[in-house]
Amino acid sequence: MLSISNLSKTYPNGVRALDGVSLEIPRGMFGLLGPNGAGKSTLMRTLATLQEADSGAVKFGSLDVLRQKEEVRKLLGYLPQEFGVYPKVTAETMLDHFALLKGIARPRERREVVDALLHQTNLWEVRKRKLGTFSGGMRQRFGIAQALLGNPRLVIVDEPTAGLDPQERNRFLNLLSAIGENVVVILSTHIVGDVREVCSAMAIISAGRVLLTGEPRQVMAGLEGRIWQKAIERAELPAYEERYEVISTRLLGGRTLLHVVGDERPGDGFEPVAPDLEDAYFHALRRAAPAAAAAQAA
Amino acid sequence: MLGAIARFEVGYQLRQPLFWSTTAVLALLTFGAVTSDTVSIGGAIGNVHRNSPFVIMQFMTVLSVVGMFVITAFVASSVQRDFEHGTAPLFFSRPIKKRDYLLGRFAGSFAVSALVFLGPLLAIVLGSFMPWLEPERLGPFRLAPYAFTFFVLVLPNLIFVAAVFFALAAVTRSLLATYLGVVVFMVVYLVSAVLLEDIENHFAASLLDPFGGAAIDLATRYWTVVEKNSALPDLAGGLLWNRVVWIGVGLLALTAGYVAFDPARDGGRFRRRRRALPEEDAPLAAASLAASFPTAAQDFSAGTAWRQFFHQARLEVVGVLRSIPFLVMVAFGCVNVLASVSFGERLFGTSTHPVTHLMLQNLEGSYVFLLVIIVTFYAGELIWKERGLGLHEVYDALPTPTWTTLAAKLAGLATVVLVFLGVGALAMMGFQAWQGYFRFEPGLYAKGLLVSGVYFLLAAVLAVFLQVAANSKFLGYLLMILYLVSAIVLDSLDFDHYLYRYGSTPDMPYSDMNGYGHFVVPFLWFALYWSCVALVLYGLAILVRVRGTEPSWRHRLRQAAARFRGPVRWAVAAGLAGAVATGGFIFWNTNVRNAYVPGDEAERRQAEYEKRYRQYLDMPMPRIVAVRTEVDIFPETRRMEARGHYRLRNQTARPIGVLHLNLDPRVEVKALRFRPHKVVRRDAELGYSIYRLDRPLQPGEEMALDFDVAVQERGFVNHGSDTSLVANGTFFNNRQYFPLLGYDEDRQLVDRNLRREHGLPPVRRMPRLDDRFARRNTYLGRDADWIDFETVVSTSPGQIALAPGYLQREWTAGGRRYFHYAMDAPILHFYSYLSADWAVRRDRWRDVAIEVYHHPPHGYNVERMVDGVKRSLDYFTSEFGPYQHRQVRILEFPRYARFAQSFPNTIPYSEDIGFIARVRDAEEDIDYPFYVTAHEVAHQWWAHQVIGGNVQGATMLSETLSQYSALMVMEREYGARQMRRFLKYELDRYLSDRGGELVEELPLMRVENQPYIHYRKGSVAMYALKDSIGEAALNGALRRFVAAKKFQRAPFTYTRELMAELERATPADRRALLADLFESITLFENRVTTALATRRADGKFAVDLTVEAKKLRADGQGVETPVPLDDWIDVGVFAGEEKGGAPGERVLYFAKHHVTAPTTKLRLTVAEAPTRAGIDPYNKLVDRNSEDNLKRVEGATSRATGR
Repeated sequence: MLSISNLSKTYPNGVRALDGVSLEIPRGMFGLLGPNGAGKSTLMRTLATLQEADSGAVKFGSLDVLRQKEEVRKLLGYLPQEFGVYPKVTAETMLDHFALLKGIARPRERREVVDALLHQTNLWEVRKRKLGTFSGGMRQRFGIAQALLGNPRLVIVDEPTAGLDPQERNRFLNLLSAIGENVVVILSTHIVGDVREVCSAMAIISAGRVLLTGEPRQVMAGLEGRIWQKAIERAELPAYEERYEVISTRLLGGRTLLHVVGDERPGDGFEPVAPDLEDAYFHALRRAAPAAAAAQAA
Repeated sequence: MLGAIARFEVGYQLRQPLFWSTTAVLALLTFGAVTSDTVSIGGAIGNVHRNSPFVIMQFMTVLSVVGMFVITAFVASSVQRDFEHGTAPLFFSRPIKKRDYLLGRFAGSFAVSALVFLGPLLAIVLGSFMPWLEPERLGPFRLAPYAFTFFVLVLPNLIFVAAVFFALAAVTRSLLATYLGVVVFMVVYLVSAVLLEDIENHFAASLLDPFGGAAIDLATRYWTVVEKNSALPDLAGGLLWNRVVWIGVGLLALTAGYVAFDPARDGGRFRRRRRALPEEDAPLAAASLAASFPTAAQDFSAGTAWRQFFHQARLEVVGVLRSIPFLVMVAFGCVNVLASVSFGERLFGTSTHPVTHLMLQNLEGSYVFLLVIIVTFYAGELIWKERGLGLHEVYDALPTPTWTTLAAKLAGLATVVLVFLGVGALAMMGFQAWQGYFRFEPGLYAKGLLVSGVYFLLAAVLAVFLQVAANSKFLGYLLMILYLVSAIVLDSLDFDHYLYRYGSTPDMPYSDMNGYGHFVVPFLWFALYWSCVALVLYGLAILVRVRGTEPSWRHRLRQAAARFRGPVRWAVAAGLAGAVATGGFIFWNTNVRNAYVPGDEAERRQAEYEKRYRQYLDMPMPRIVAVRTEVDIFPETRRMEARGHYRLRNQTARPIGVLHLNLDPRVEVKALRFRPHKVVRRDAELGYSIYRLDRPLQPGEEMALDFDVAVQERGFVNHGSDTSLVANGTFFNNRQYFPLLGYDEDRQLVDRNLRREHGLPPVRRMPRLDDRFARRNTYLGRDADWIDFETVVSTSPGQIALAPGYLQREWTAGGRRYFHYAMDAPILHFYSYLSADWAVRRDRWRDVAIEVYHHPPHGYNVERMVDGVKRSLDYFTSEFGPYQHRQVRILEFPRYARFAQSFPNTIPYSEDIGFIARVRDAEEDIDYPFYVTAHEVAHQWWAHQVIGGNVQGATMLSETLSQYSALMVMEREYGARQMRRFLKYELDRYLSDRGGELVEELPLMRVENQPYIHYRKGSVAMYALKDSIGEAALNGALRRFVAAKKFQRAPFTYTRELMAELERATPADRRALLADLFESITLFENRVTTALATRRADGKFAVDLTVEAKKLRADGQGVETPVPLDDWIDVGVFAGEEKGGAPGERVLYFAKHHVTAPTTKLRLTVAEAPTRAGIDPYNKLVDRNSEDNLKRVEGATSRATGR
């Protein structure tokens, strides 16, 4: 559906944000996982017609995304990583305005769409409130409502769950997956859980490169039987890091839970464990840049 | 702690754009005012040095009033910020004392405010070094005036303003409430300034002005140029007290605010709490989402784009109209303009009817200019709104065409401009209604405001373009400021064609008589031209608009190329084509059909005229002795044709072989016929030709000179559009369009600085008093004196055409109206032609017909004028001699010029002078339509019977004597009390205007056409003389003077001959007065130091007075030397309270005393308990401090009146 080939972008300050990115993105929810600064937002903005690429091509169906921007915008729903609102305008007015800007010209239809979206994003009760008074979660839901206006066929949401509490996050992901059945939804995030829970396909990118693509299950399957865990004291960690390929550490009940990768059981009290997506993610990052990944994991 | 908080505050504010932008704006404004005449702060600089202490004080006082809004922003933000951002608990949960917090914040924000005002001071210093300024207009740099201004004027003002509004902000914690406070204060301040204007006690008034402006005015009001350039007022008296009082008030306010400030109270009293809404625990609705989602058709047609445009535009407009800065601007503008109309348009304290065009003029001057700020500021705000809020990524990814968003922002800005103008119009109509004037002209308001609004609409497009192109708000503002400054610079460099000055259009004066007249057409063309350019700018803005997050020019240009198609391409192409077409048409009009002469080129031509031809100044020429003309006026097409016949006579003793003729180069000469001659020189550029007569004109011989000329206004010009030939209200005189003989001194450059620039030597303003040779000419011209005159004028059927003379016959032929006028007495070679659609009011005085030709709605004062003519004829015929004509006609002409001018039996009178004056109560207001009429009628004697030779003092013979004559008529009509009020204005004008003298102040009898001397001082001097020798004696002298000199031939009379008559009429012991009043510049310093009354046994009161007198003589530069006293000066004692300019209700004692010593003790006896007493109580003498002439009598008074 959306095919990205060999996309590269270097900023004037020398940062290489995209480095030959190629991806095939089918219908449904697609998770784009990567640490902060991996180039996710650059990719998202490029797909959302806001940024130029130095080279490469992006096709959405038959559309050339990099050239036919105006056509793409007609199909696009975009929720940027950070966005503001007119503080003194009510949610309803603002959404109605966005609907008109999205080309929903007939007032009756617009009214219906706006009302439906306000209901579905649970903003109906507060639709008369000024946007300036909204909490972070409400504002994020308003953002998704805005992105869903006009039946978009390409929905791009950039780090939508950052800063949401668990309940808000759940609500949000539900909303996304509900629409993700017929259209392309690209969800960029650095939270593995987001992808695990709702995405049917995913890619991991770091430092502007695609490290890995596939369905989450496939990705995890690649590590089947190679992940071992052990709970240790925190002080012992450096010694373990020297001896094993540590992919993640996590605190559990005051002790440090260590995941290492290895084709054979390391012994030394390590237990086998079923790989989860997080292991796959950290493993991929570690392979790409061991030091950075270690820092990340710590 | 306090210091740390203050430092933090300073650091914080210095990082805010507000600090830098306001400093920049104030500094640029000041820089503009110092380096050009286009920008003025509190009035024009005038003749003083551009960096003189006086100017520095004026600028900074005005800026500290205007700066109130800025200072408030700093101090209010400092105390209120924490509550706004919710950071207050962070501060108050720490162990910070209220004292440290509050005073620290105050000190910090006060320091920042003070820093802001260093900007304009530096701008003056910097501005005075700009290379395009003439060194003569600059004084040396001295630190003292800057320091004085900063520490005595600016800082105390800042303390007052900062303290009061800091306290208000601390207590209310609401920005809106604080700004409301500022506006209310501004209103009270301006209104009280109006009310205080009339107050007799200047000291009280100077104390009550919180900004010290009135105190400075009082201290400097009679300063001469020399003093304004060098001196600083003493920090004493009114000024000192003013400063002390208002610093005190500020500190009191601060204390009150400190006490009332309660850190525990959260949030503002006037602000609703902004509270984050609680998270509601909503059920998940996601499951049903896809199913229930309604589908709506998307429509990307042009219709939708327009709908999007309107919607977005409405959003922008509402946003701006609700924003505080806009509301503050509107409030400030309204207050400013209301104050200016309340002050405005007064002559001798009498106001005018609030006619709509005056209201528009006030809006233009005091309100509309704020749009520059509004347009600049909100262009940035609107263009950057989405990016400022972080909403741009959402916006830019929407499928909305780029043109709609930009167009919406432009339309929003345009609507804001129109709303702002509309509010101004409503405010003015409110004012009119309040003044009881109900002739509302909404159509005229709409026209007038659109005329001034067009510039701002165009500026809005430019501002938006610059913001978009610069892609940085700051840079956008900077570029816009550069544009505004460039307009000033171009102007001062005489780059004055409106074709290359974006958004500029020719001036468009309005007259009730002629409407906008012929100014409409060029205005519309220029407006259309600039609209086309604006359309191109708009197209370019669409092309280079950054959409998304890619600001590099490489991408923007690639983008632009991609966007350059469809409607954008058409818009740019249409704009370019339109600009080329309209620009071409304009150029054809201004530069091909008419000559485009930039300001510096016009000056060069004037200089060239003098360089080439002044050598012929004294060359003998024949004199015009009779004139017969046929003049056809075509008001609709602005054309004039004239066929004239001059009879010339050689009145010299030698044959005259050459003839020099002047004719305005714009005049088309169809024929010029006189005795056989050869052309020696024909200078088409300067309109000067020299002919050699084949047969010289012998002494006493006459010759004919016939001319056939035409003036046709073709199309339109860039600037200086002619206002003589207009659709309704044509008014020109012979010197404009008819041939003039010999060199014409009136065409020379006058301004001394310009003369120097063009390498011309200084020139005498007038020949010396005793230059007998110069007296062969009258001061009105060299080519004629008394002539016989006859003319036929024709005009369109709807109008009346007028010229001096009596109507012989009126007829219609060929669809035109003809009038034949002939004169029965000799007149000066100075006559006017007028044509307009008038209403006529006719009356008679004995056998003299009185006619007032006026614009029909301007009937307000016609009766006063008729009355003025009658009273004048009464007085003048009985006192000075018979009137030479049988008719007096007053003719209203459009307000393109502001004067009344007396021609033989004909007085053209500008619609702005007198016709719309509002004399509400002849007891209170000075009836100046009556006075101006009397003055002009008096000219029928003083100029049209007795005319001075072309030497110093000539205008004393015409203007001073007319002024005196009018005074006497007024005194008869309105009494001595009104006269004293009038003379107070005259004395005040004289004393303040002598400060503006450029060259040299001269004694009255040597006046060189200096209005402040021949009018203002003339009134005072003549009245004082009349007071001393009596009306009968003075008028007797004048009657003898008229009888001896009327219709006299060369050499013409001069002031020595008048002085001889006055001396004859003055008793020997009073002749010193003549020397004081007429032969020298004499100033008095009179005052009363003690006034004590004691009740005597017989019930009468003895009054002991100590009076001090001092007499000074000034030279032409204002250097004064004391001279011994030998003067008869009034001493008066009064009872009852002061009322309407009179020192008391009853005069108990009034007599002239012979004063010979600096201090005189007097004991007077009066019948009643006195209240006030003093020397020269009616201010008849020229005395710069008239306040101390009277004193409240101490002693028995209160006891006596208490019984």
